[in-house]
Amino acid sequence: MKIGSYELKLEKREHLTRLKATLISTFSIICALLLFSLIFVNAGISPITGFQEIFSFAFANRHGLPLTINRSIFILLCTSAFIIPFRAGLWNIGMAGQMYAGALGAFAVLYAFGARVDPGMYISPFIGIPLMMLASGIAGGVIGAIAGYIKGRFNVNEIVITMMINFIAFWLVSFMIKEGGPFMNPVGRSESFDLPVSLRAPLVMGVPFTLIVALLISFTLHWVFSKTRIGYQIKAYGLNPAAAKYAGMNPFKITLMVFAAGGAIAGLAAYHMFAAVPGVYKIARNYVDFGDLTFYGIISGLIANGNPLAAIPIVLLFGGLTNGGRFAQGRLEMGFGVDFALLGIMMITMVAFQFFYRYKIVWIKPNKEIPDGRVIL
Amino acid sequence: MSLDTLMRGDSVLEARGITKRFPGVLANDAINFNIKVGEIHAVLGENGAGKTTLMNILFGMYQPDEGELFFNGKKVDFKSPLDAIKLGIGMVHQKRKLITAHNVIENIILGHPLAGTILNINRAKEDVSKLSEQYGFKIDLMAKVWQLSEGQKQSVEIIKALYRGAKVLILDEPTSALSPPETKSLLASIKSMSNSNLAVVPFITHKLPIVLAISDTVTVLRRGKVTAHFETKGATEKSLARSMVGRDVINDLERVQVGRGKPILQVNTLSARSEKGPLAFKGVSFTIHEGEIFGITGVSGNGQEELAEALAGLRKVVGGSVFLDGQDITNSSCLERWQKGVGYIPAERNDVGSIGDFSLTENVAMNYFYDDQYTTGGIIRYNELRTLTEDLISEYGVATPGPDTTAKSLSGGNLQKLILARVFARKPRLIIACLPTQGLDVGASEFVQNKLLQAKKDGAAILLISGDIEEALSLSDWVAPIYEGEFKDIFAGEDATLEIVGAWMAGVKPKVD
Repeated sequence: MKIGSYELKLEKREHLTRLKATLISTFSIICALLLFSLIFVNAGISPITGFQEIFSFAFANRHGLPLTINRSIFILLCTSAFIIPFRAGLWNIGMAGQMYAGALGAFAVLYAFGARVDPGMYISPFIGIPLMMLASGIAGGVIGAIAGYIKGRFNVNEIVITMMINFIAFWLVSFMIKEGGPFMNPVGRSESFDLPVSLRAPLVMGVPFTLIVALLISFTLHWVFSKTRIGYQIKAYGLNPAAAKYAGMNPFKITLMVFAAGGAIAGLAAYHMFAAVPGVYKIARNYVDFGDLTFYGIISGLIANGNPLAAIPIVLLFGGLTNGGRFAQGRLEMGFGVDFALLGIMMITMVAFQFFYRYKIVWIKPNKEIPDGRVIL
Repeated sequence: MSLDTLMRGDSVLEARGITKRFPGVLANDAINFNIKVGEIHAVLGENGAGKTTLMNILFGMYQPDEGELFFNGKKVDFKSPLDAIKLGIGMVHQKRKLITAHNVIENIILGHPLAGTILNINRAKEDVSKLSEQYGFKIDLMAKVWQLSEGQKQSVEIIKALYRGAKVLILDEPTSALSPPETKSLLASIKSMSNSNLAVVPFITHKLPIVLAISDTVTVLRRGKVTAHFETKGATEKSLARSMVGRDVINDLERVQVGRGKPILQVNTLSARSEKGPLAFKGVSFTIHEGEIFGITGVSGNGQEELAEALAGLRKVVGGSVFLDGQDITNSSCLERWQKGVGYIPAERNDVGSIGDFSLTENVAMNYFYDDQYTTGGIIRYNELRTLTEDLISEYGVATPGPDTTAKSLSGGNLQKLILARVFARKPRLIIACLPTQGLDVGASEFVQNKLLQAKKDGAAILLISGDIEEALSLSDWVAPIYEGEFKDIFAGEDATLEIVGAWMAGVKPKVD
């Protein structure tokens, strides 16, 4: 393309430094916010006021910040659940189903203790909490492993399998908690029975301890990928399956394992949301909203390029914007769906900017020494 | 001025001062050369000499940074290959660009301006048959492309270019995938094209005899520059190699004699299927002893690559057995074989033998991630692997900034050196080397061959699968020509001759005088 006497050319990047990647991501966020300003302007609100409302509620408000953090923990767990298969070149679109299964697993433990019949009963948190976490992890892991097994054994597309399992798990939860289901709340209301007070997750400075669990998982994953044999095999298989097989790695084992591990972490996300976030403490009636929220794990994982640590600031941003957007919508009396619009725009720009991870645009100044004969793309 | 008025010996395509830069590389540096009507003008150069770049510039795929192209005396700017095709430049790539499910004639008329909306296959067939008869191509126009041999597919591409009216035909490595008889008939066709006033420009990496056999003129490239330009009449293999590599190359490999040791690999009536279902090779039996090179030579696609995969544990066998050091490994996994001392050098060094986005250290780890010597409790000791990689880089002379660079930044020859270094450092009992010098230039090929001979001296059993019949003959103690998945015979190295093995490779029983 030619603009004036300058030439614009597209070139493939040889490699991308970490600094450049960060700059590109930051620039994409700025672009998204600028685009979103149009929505504020359209609603007759100054963009500055609008963003002030969103960000101050999300990150600087006594009520807003814990909400942001709770969401971010959930998204971070889902991101980790996505990243593990992603590094092996496989797409886990089934975090929703794995998360639903995790919820059922956690509440099955309570059910076994008899907490449905006697909501006021005392269960020692030192026994109950680890058991619930374990059960949610196992349940999510099993659901993930089913997809991994089918992919690994029969090479059926993993996106299709995980997606379909999402529906099965969704209706399974419905069956369990709605009218007549074994986990139904005795009072009705289409939600599960309540978590006994004694098992409410301990809070650290107002934030459930699952924050530490989620961060620990991210750091552990980073270590696994950079230091361990299993991480090496996952990366190798993800980058070049034929070379991994040549080197003696077992594709079936890798596939099964990454989906089981991813599923287990998605299961833990359910424990966090339904048994650790203050004010929820049950499988909520709107559990499908949290199923939808798991998909932010995919987008965060993609933006972080599969790096479990780079995902942390990204999930914080997503957690904050969904939360702040919802608040600003009510506060500024805007139409429904401000938070969705904001996230939608942000995703589109972030995905669009992925282009710059792989290409760069170069300006070529006109060269006086070579009179024409230059080829213009 | 129309092309038809051009006389034999007139310049048809000329490059003046062609320069092309890529980030960090000067691929073409002020290249001049002149292609004349009716001339076979070979362009010779090692990998990385800038051949591919030059070829792509001539065909309009790249645009030069500096310099000009003249077609028929007029300056031209190719914005895309379409411009080049319109003027009458045809190109046959090394990678086939045919639709395998379609038949030959459909492939030939695909994209032809006269094909029109409604196909007149019969008229096209007539024209094409005339054309192929004229140049001596024997091809069934109704055959599906997937049924054709590699050589026939190449003929289809040449006919396709001719049918589109090519006056200058660029051929990329035209003989690399052909059996000796196919090569012979291709060379005859090329000769007859040049007799009908076509200019033919074959680009060739290392087959010097071919260059001497057919070309009128040779232009030699090295490091992006034209280093020599001569009439073929006065050239010898030695002089070509010297201007190509920049030093004298000793092309005669000594077959090293090593006392016969105990048997390492025993293969009994082994068979396995290809991806498509039929048997890729059947009933193959042979034994390789310590310090022996067993060469399997054949035209690509006759089951030799599947055999290598089966022996490496990457392909399930349907019958027969494999013993390594007297131990049955027929059903051992690939990893178990590595651990028991099998070392496999695959044919596809980019797609199978290495991981492009991994650093060199991580690529070396491909053969050590399971090894207790470099791991503790499931944790890889990357620091020590990095030291090992540094040692291998200097021992094998891999040209690279260091162990942290990615494998995809290495040239073909350097990547192959790294793969060899990595595999040989394990001191394997059995080395399976599949097309180890394919696509490598003279210098790198020589290096690889010497390393194989060194491993033989050190007592390894080596299975060498090669499409280059001369390489197989000069290195191997035993040579087995393979055709359609079967060994046609097994010769002792000193008894095997080019003619006999070459005939078997093409599936023909050699005439014995």
